[in-house]
Parts: sequence; structure tokens; C-alpha cells
Amino acid sequence: MNAVRIVAPQPGAAMSKRIVAVTIVCLLVLVAAPFAGTALEGEGSRFILVQLRLPRMLVGAIVGLSLGLTGAAYQALFDNPLATPSTVGTTAGAALGALAVLVLLPGEQMGLPVVFVAAFAGALAVTFAIAAIASSGRASINDVLLAGIAITLATGAITTGLQFQADMAATFEAVRWSLGHLTQVGYRGVIMLGPVVAVCTVVLLFQVRALESMLGGEDRAHAQGVDVRRTRTICLAFGAIGVGACVAWCGPIAFVGLIVPHMVRLGLGATRRVLLPMSALVGASFLVFCDALARWVLPGQDLPVGVVTATLGAPLLVFLVTRRPRA
Amino acid sequence: MSDGLQLHGLGISASGRAILEDISLSIAPGDCVAVVGPNGAGKTTLFKAALGLLRPSSGRVTWHGEDVRSMPGRERAAAMAWLPQRTGVQEVVPVLDFVRAARFRFSEGRRAATEASFEALRAVGAESLSSQPVTTLSGGEFQRVLMATLVAQDPQTFLLDEPANHLDPAHQASFYRLISRQWQAGRSVVCVTHDINLLTHLSPPERAGDVRVVGLRDGRLCFSLCLSDGQLKSALEGLFEMSLQEVEVSGRSYFLPHSEGLR
Repeated sequence: MNAVRIVAPQPGAAMSKRIVAVTIVCLLVLVAAPFAGTALEGEGSRFILVQLRLPRMLVGAIVGLSLGLTGAAYQALFDNPLATPSTVGTTAGAALGALAVLVLLPGEQMGLPVVFVAAFAGALAVTFAIAAIASSGRASINDVLLAGIAITLATGAITTGLQFQADMAATFEAVRWSLGHLTQVGYRGVIMLGPVVAVCTVVLLFQVRALESMLGGEDRAHAQGVDVRRTRTICLAFGAIGVGACVAWCGPIAFVGLIVPHMVRLGLGATRRVLLPMSALVGASFLVFCDALARWVLPGQDLPVGVVTATLGAPLLVFLVTRRPRA
Repeated sequence: MSDGLQLHGLGISASGRAILEDISLSIAPGDCVAVVGPNGAGKTTLFKAALGLLRPSSGRVTWHGEDVRSMPGRERAAAMAWLPQRTGVQEVVPVLDFVRAARFRFSEGRRAATEASFEALRAVGAESLSSQPVTTLSGGEFQRVLMATLVAQDPQTFLLDEPANHLDPAHQASFYRLISRQWQAGRSVVCVTHDINLLTHLSPPERAGDVRVVGLRDGRLCFSLCLSDGQLKSALEGLFEMSLQEVEVSGRSYFLPHSEGLR
């Protein structure tokens, strides 16, 4: 046979270029961020750069990566553009754990790890309850989403109740925690979060093919050979472990998990193979950028980064979505 | 015999109501079976049960003797692929990526998966759509792309649920010819439909004797005849509770509502 063989086109050569361009910009942001803010000169400058700004950039990158990637994975899993790590109770559980320690044990000189451990435990407890619903028999993915929202509201109510009982100092401490912050001294945060987030990232990225198959619905994915319940459980669990650790360390940082996957989707398309890794990268640099911006615009104020991500991210998202061409 | 797909006395019920009762059906390799019946007869449920998505209340479904509900996913995907009645895709994903997702069961590199997906698109005459977003396709184009995902999955059996439901007459006929080509290339085909006049396009006229028509009504099988059987007309009349007139056009049989109208 001498049939003419048409080779599959390499689709989106232009898209590959865009991906490379976005990658370069993101890496530049990460490298430049520690140098933003008050000029580094004089005596303490080396300390500020190496012990304050560099670890802050690294923790910001780790947290942003985790939030962006998990947001993308959850949106793919739930086939719902509104799903975020907060939707399945991860953030609410962490907040409850942290506040329980801050409020119920006031005044005691506890190191940060106690709050960290309590918040992490809270995040996992709530998310694993949801994951158990997701992996059990007949729950549809929308049931899981509903359960997540319901448990988030219930957990939030308990947290508010706790806060109401507390004295002024504990309440202030709680509010400060709940705004999200990246203030670091030294590398403890990097050492604690780095390995956890690395493992979760690898596991989530291994789910890309299964998530791609879910584009046409879970039943169809099942027919294509995907173990739907297993994929659900893995994505929820490892998303929660990564995000839970980050939220426990830095407090809930608003909007990153929601906005970043949308930015990637609008710029680079929704193909899971691109969406997940690029959401991780863009998430890392978006959070670091917001933090550096705050330092540059309001030097010396140490504005919580959660305030910046929300005020900057929300209008940006609305702008992007309304500009999107409709099919 | 335990070859191919076997339904053994299958019963499915949901919230206490029986949807399928005592269905026994055997689809051997290379078979072409059309399941016909009125709306609500349980046709879609039959496929979901065959895929192991539903827990039978009685009986079981096997593939080469193995229960489909305990088969590893990738093996089940090698046995059968499914064209659902409705597929909604919300995300703006290029057609080629969408088709490549169906290669899940293969352990292969991305390049090989891309090649195979492009081949599948060519097999259904949709290769020109490969870089278009799935969300911008017309109904007929999307149905072809869905068919390409089945070809890309490359299973032994196609389960097709009302494959031509939303297509115009020209697309309906060409879509059935597409199915027919897959059958003649050696796959088994199970096609569920309520449109009895499309069945004739499942096979070339000379092979009509090899197409089995199975009637499903109120969750029970009521007949099993070959497409060229003279008794098919009266069987279909009983199934749909209307009188029909058989008309032959260039060797193919069509069934029209009798001029005296509905019974």
C-alpha cells in the first residue's frame, strides 16, 4: 500500500510559545520579588534579603503553587468553575482549628507550631469527611459539592461562635490570622511546607489523564476506564493535605485558588495537561507578586497578602471573564 | 458459551421500582444488535448496567465470563466503549485533546496518543475539526467527534445510545453508515434507538440477516428477530402499539405509520 499518510498536526505551536512566555514571566517575577520594596543598602541589608525576603518569597511561592494547582484540580474534578480548595471545607476546617487554639487557650505562650498543628488537623478532618462522602457509593459529584458548602458554613458558624466568646486580644490575634500573611523569619516555613507540597504536587499531576477523561462527565470517564471514585478521593485528599498545610501556616489567603486557574484557562486554554501545571506556576508567581507589590506600594506596613490578592484578583477576574469571547 | 458481553437474568431497580426485569442477552464478538423500544423502556439503563455503573438487583453482566463490576477499569474500557445519549462539555478544549482523553486505557506516550486520536478523527471524517474548540461544534460535528472518541478508545464493542437523535436526516443516514463501517471492520455494535427506520442503515442490504433486532418494553425483552425477518413488522406493531406499513426502497425496509393512523 502506498497511501498518503497525513501526519497529525502539532496543534497549537502558537500555544506552546505562549506557555513558554508565561513560564519565563513567572520565573522572572519569582527572582525579582525579593528585591522589591525599600532599597537594600547598609548594614542589615544582607539579613533582610537572606533571612526575611528570600524565605518569604519561597513560602509565598510554595503556598501559591499549592493553592493554584489544587484550585485547578478541584475545578476539573467537580467540572465546576466555582470550586476552590475552600469549597470542600479545607479552609474552614483550618480556621476552626487555629481559632480553637487561639481563643480557648488565650495568653499561654505557645509557639506557632501549636496553631499550625491544630489548623492542619482541622483542615484534614473536615476535608476527609467530604472525601469519605465522595468515595462512598452513590453520591454524585454535585452532592459532594453541596456537602462541602454545607459543612463549610457549619464550621464557619462554630468559628464565629468561638470568636464571640473570646477576649479582645484573642479576637485580634484571630482576625490577624484569618487575613493571611506571609511574614517569615528564617526558613522554618520552607522546611515544613516544602516536602508536603512537593508530594501533593506530584500526586495531583499524576491525575491529569483521569481528569482529562472527566471532561465529558464522570460516567463517560468510567466507560473510558477511569476509576472515578479513586480519582475523586486522591484529588480531594492530596489537595487538602497541601492546602491544609499552607493555610495552617499562613492563614487562609483569599481568591488565589479561584482566580489563578481562570487566568490560565483564559490565556492558555482548559486542556488539563496545561491547566494543572500552569496553574501551579502562575499561582506561585501571582502570590509572590501580590506580596512584593504590597511591600513596594506601602513600605513598612506589612499589609496581609490576603488583602492584596482579593483586591487585585477579583477585579482582574471579572475583567478577564467579561472579555472572554463567547462561543 | 461465555464469549463477549452477556446479560444473565439482569434486573435493575431504583427506589423500589423495577426498571429492568430478567433481561438475558448475549452479544458475541462481531454481533450487531439493535435494541428498540418506546421512550422509558429502560434502554439507557441497560447500557449503564452493562458498563457496571449500576448495581443489579438480580442477575449479572459478564464480559468473557468475568463480572463487569469487578473488572479493572482499563480492561473494561478495552471491552466496550459508550456513546451516551447526551454529553455535555463545558470547557473550551480543542477537539484533538478531547479525543485523546479517550486513550486513557493505553500506556503510551503523548505522541502515540496524538497520532491515534488523529487517526480516529480521520476514520469518522472529522480530521479538519481537530484544532477547533469542542464547544463551537454543530450537533452533527460533535456527534462525529464523540464517535471518534470511541474509535480512539478502540474497544471490541460499541454501545451506542440513540446515536442519531438530534441529527438532520442526511446526517442520520451518514452516521448510521459510519456505525455500519465499524461493525463491518469487526467490532460488535449494540445500538439503542426508538427510530426503527434508521436500523436498515446499520447494514448493507445483503447483510440484513446478520443484524438482530431486540424489542424492549417496560423493562422486559419482548422479541428478538433478525432485521430481514418477515415477522419484524408485526413485532414492531406490538412494541409501539401502532399499525405500520412496510415499504421497500432499493432493497431496504422502512416502516411507516399506517394510513389509517394510530390504533
